[in-house]
Amino acid sequence: MTQTILTFISKVKPDQADTLSKLLDQMGDNPETNSYIPFRSLKRLHFASLVLHQSSDYGPYLVFENNFDGTLDEYLPDLYQQAANGLHQIYGYCQDYSVASASDRQGLLNYLRAHVVYPNAYHIGNTGRSAERILQEGDLRTALELQADDLVKNGKAQSAQSAATALQQYVRTDSKWAWAVPTIGPREPFQQKFLAWSRLIFFGLLAIVLLPVLLVPAAVWLLVLRYKESTDPVLNDSADAGNVEQLLDKENRTRSVQNHMASITIVKPGWLRRSTLWLVLWAVNLLARARATHGELSGIPSIHFAHWSMIDDGRRLLFLSNFDGSWENYLDDFIDKAASGLTGVWSNTLNFPRTYFLLWGGARDGPRFKAIARDMQTVTNVWYSAYWDLTVQGIDNSSSIREDLLNVTGSATASALLQRL
Amino acid sequence: MVELERKDIQGIVVSAYKHLPCATYLLLRIKHAAATRAWIADRIPEITSSEGKHPALSTNLAFTHGGLQSLGLKQDALDGFSFPFQQGMDTDYRSRLLGDTQENDPNGWEWGSAANRVDLLLMVFGKDSTVVDAEVLRQQAALDRGGLTIVKAFPAGREKGTHEHFGFADGIGQPVMEGTGNKERQLQRTHHATELPVGEFLLGHANVYGVIAPGPAVKPEDDPHQLLAVIPADATGLNAEAGMHDLGRNGSYLVFRQLAQHVAEFWNFLDAASRGPNGTSNPMERERLGAKFVGRWTSGAPLVLSPGQDNPELRSENNFTYYEKDPHGLACPIGSHVRRANPRDSLGPDPQTALDSANRHRILRRGRSYGDRLKNVLVDDGADRGLHFICLNSDIERQFEFVQQTWLNNPVFSGLYDEVDPLVGDVAKGDRLFTVQAEPLRCRVQNLGRFVVVKGGAYFFLPSLRALNYLAKL
Repeated sequence: MTQTILTFISKVKPDQADTLSKLLDQMGDNPETNSYIPFRSLKRLHFASLVLHQSSDYGPYLVFENNFDGTLDEYLPDLYQQAANGLHQIYGYCQDYSVASASDRQGLLNYLRAHVVYPNAYHIGNTGRSAERILQEGDLRTALELQADDLVKNGKAQSAQSAATALQQYVRTDSKWAWAVPTIGPREPFQQKFLAWSRLIFFGLLAIVLLPVLLVPAAVWLLVLRYKESTDPVLNDSADAGNVEQLLDKENRTRSVQNHMASITIVKPGWLRRSTLWLVLWAVNLLARARATHGELSGIPSIHFAHWSMIDDGRRLLFLSNFDGSWENYLDDFIDKAASGLTGVWSNTLNFPRTYFLLWGGARDGPRFKAIARDMQTVTNVWYSAYWDLTVQGIDNSSSIREDLLNVTGSATASALLQRL
Repeated sequence: MVELERKDIQGIVVSAYKHLPCATYLLLRIKHAAATRAWIADRIPEITSSEGKHPALSTNLAFTHGGLQSLGLKQDALDGFSFPFQQGMDTDYRSRLLGDTQENDPNGWEWGSAANRVDLLLMVFGKDSTVVDAEVLRQQAALDRGGLTIVKAFPAGREKGTHEHFGFADGIGQPVMEGTGNKERQLQRTHHATELPVGEFLLGHANVYGVIAPGPAVKPEDDPHQLLAVIPADATGLNAEAGMHDLGRNGSYLVFRQLAQHVAEFWNFLDAASRGPNGTSNPMERERLGAKFVGRWTSGAPLVLSPGQDNPELRSENNFTYYEKDPHGLACPIGSHVRRANPRDSLGPDPQTALDSANRHRILRRGRSYGDRLKNVLVDDGADRGLHFICLNSDIERQFEFVQQTWLNNPVFSGLYDEVDPLVGDVAKGDRLFTVQAEPLRCRVQNLGRFVVVKGGAYFFLPSLRALNYLAKL
């Protein structure tokens, strides 16, 4: 099972932005079943968002984020079927939308295809699992917890093996769990893993082979970069209070606290910064494909879907993230565990804290980094999660429970299973 | 060794005043700013600084954002304070993250919400109630002339000892601030000390990231008498406030929450949940379950080191971690209060990274119990009792609020599901559960009540003595 991460990006007619904003607010109040795009009925969908971003230089943009199972070709028919009228209405506020009616299926789909932006780099927390499977495995875990409660209450949890057997029995006998058979695909197909590692190794070797040739240009690049970063302006004020207030209003609304972050930043002028950013994102993606496949991105265990896209011919950087926990926790994790990576990316955008040799300094200046992160962040108008109360780690645990449950062979495997409850 | 400007720092920063077991807090509102400024000037000689130890009496003073505004502090200076302090503790957003919903809703607070806002906090600490009462009477007599009214007065009434009302020893694990010399004392007392940079607790100093966070400052022309320190330019040229006069330096943010404790409800719940199969009360099991909730036995002995039974010899012991000794919570449950309030090295795959990370979210606790001890913990006497929770930190969002939200009130903390801190958590965020990890199978205690209810709270700024002087002369 593969997942696709993409955005549809459109320019909004400037005089229609306010009307569109009101429509989006309406949607945002009821992401599950609103009449424009009733997200709950899109079974392939994991997370989605709509962001109306205003900028004096670029005008209003509409960014429609989709993280779903399968390919775009598999997803679009669903989207059209559930939301043709809503999409037609929404994109009616956009500049180059000329489809006459929502019933023009080909026209609408062509419009969407023409506005697809695939990210330069992305991360998926729970690879290989469809939205449907994640929900099912969550239900199974909840049911098993209740079974385990009964076992404890009735004194039937004497040994690990007997308790595990009782749980197995429960799943085998109730037809409700017939889907939970061990033939469900792995979290990461071998082919995918092989490809990702092959690419990483290939480019690693290539870099070593080309080292003698690259050495001089790389040194020149580094010197120029070092000069630039010592003179680039840096944000020193605290974050814009008005913007922060709007952002806070939307945060921490779900029970176990998932949040969304959308940010659009201006890449520092000049081809050097643009190409550096492109290269860093390319490398991040190469590494993430091979190494960040077990729920963590650079040690951060809380990101469901995140993507970086260079837009406007590389002049702006769009970042979207669906994560567990509070904004504060997310940013602290970034600072504590992934400061180099994120400094490597965002130090190529305006006003970032002072860096040294691209990767050092930067985000390690916690207060200034958080201030700029808030200033770069833009309000998410509509946000949808297929599983508001599940965390990346919780989803992995539920998968492990299902995988382990039917493979219990001895007391060691039984204990391991019970420890997951 | 860091040299603190002790004369400039209020005493409560470096000392919990353990030698002064009685306290009264006066929550005040400003009626006439000019009179209050004069009142502040009169108080300054009485305010206890961090220099020397006063054997009988100590007094400290803090302000809310509204209080500073009423005093006449200019808008640009007011805007330099951190967001949570500016917005206050009672906004919808902060209620969500602090867990102030249902019974904890600020609309029901006795003080600190918009309906009964507070401007000033005057704290009086004394060696006994006679000293405190006399001093409070003297202070009260000056309030009217100082343009102040009392919103709430929390009188003394503290017994000796460090046990909170549920009966558990409290205040064992505390970080220490560099430059205070508290490290040695802490090491001796608890065999463990986490020393943190001055900037974790005082504004205007380098924090745990090694940088000085932006803070409140006033323009040079707004400080014509040069009462405040001038902010120097720094080597990297990053300091936007260079040349401004530092209002924040040596000040701290003081978080105050009044937490009522339902002692009888707590122990009756534990009693019911720990009864044997024949339905009889089992005091030993009750105590054991209580210890599982807390993570320490009533004596203070940590469950990690003494999982089977209480061991009073370990009552002040704080030299332990979780990663090696108790990764699965079999001794000290993952969701227990002390493990949530300070997870030490337990979060994340690498213990050292986890420990460093956890230490970026520490607070200096300065709280004290209020109300009389319940004679029989199973029989309610209807009296109000609880904890005046007070803590100091330099970054409310990264420290106090982080602990509250990401650790205590987080229903998915450290791999758990649907449960929050069993003592102080917002039960509405979870399923009223508490998991006691065990082999072969965990036990889930169900239908937890709300044993602690928030009755009021506010964010205060505890200024330096210089800043106090500046405020008096506004």
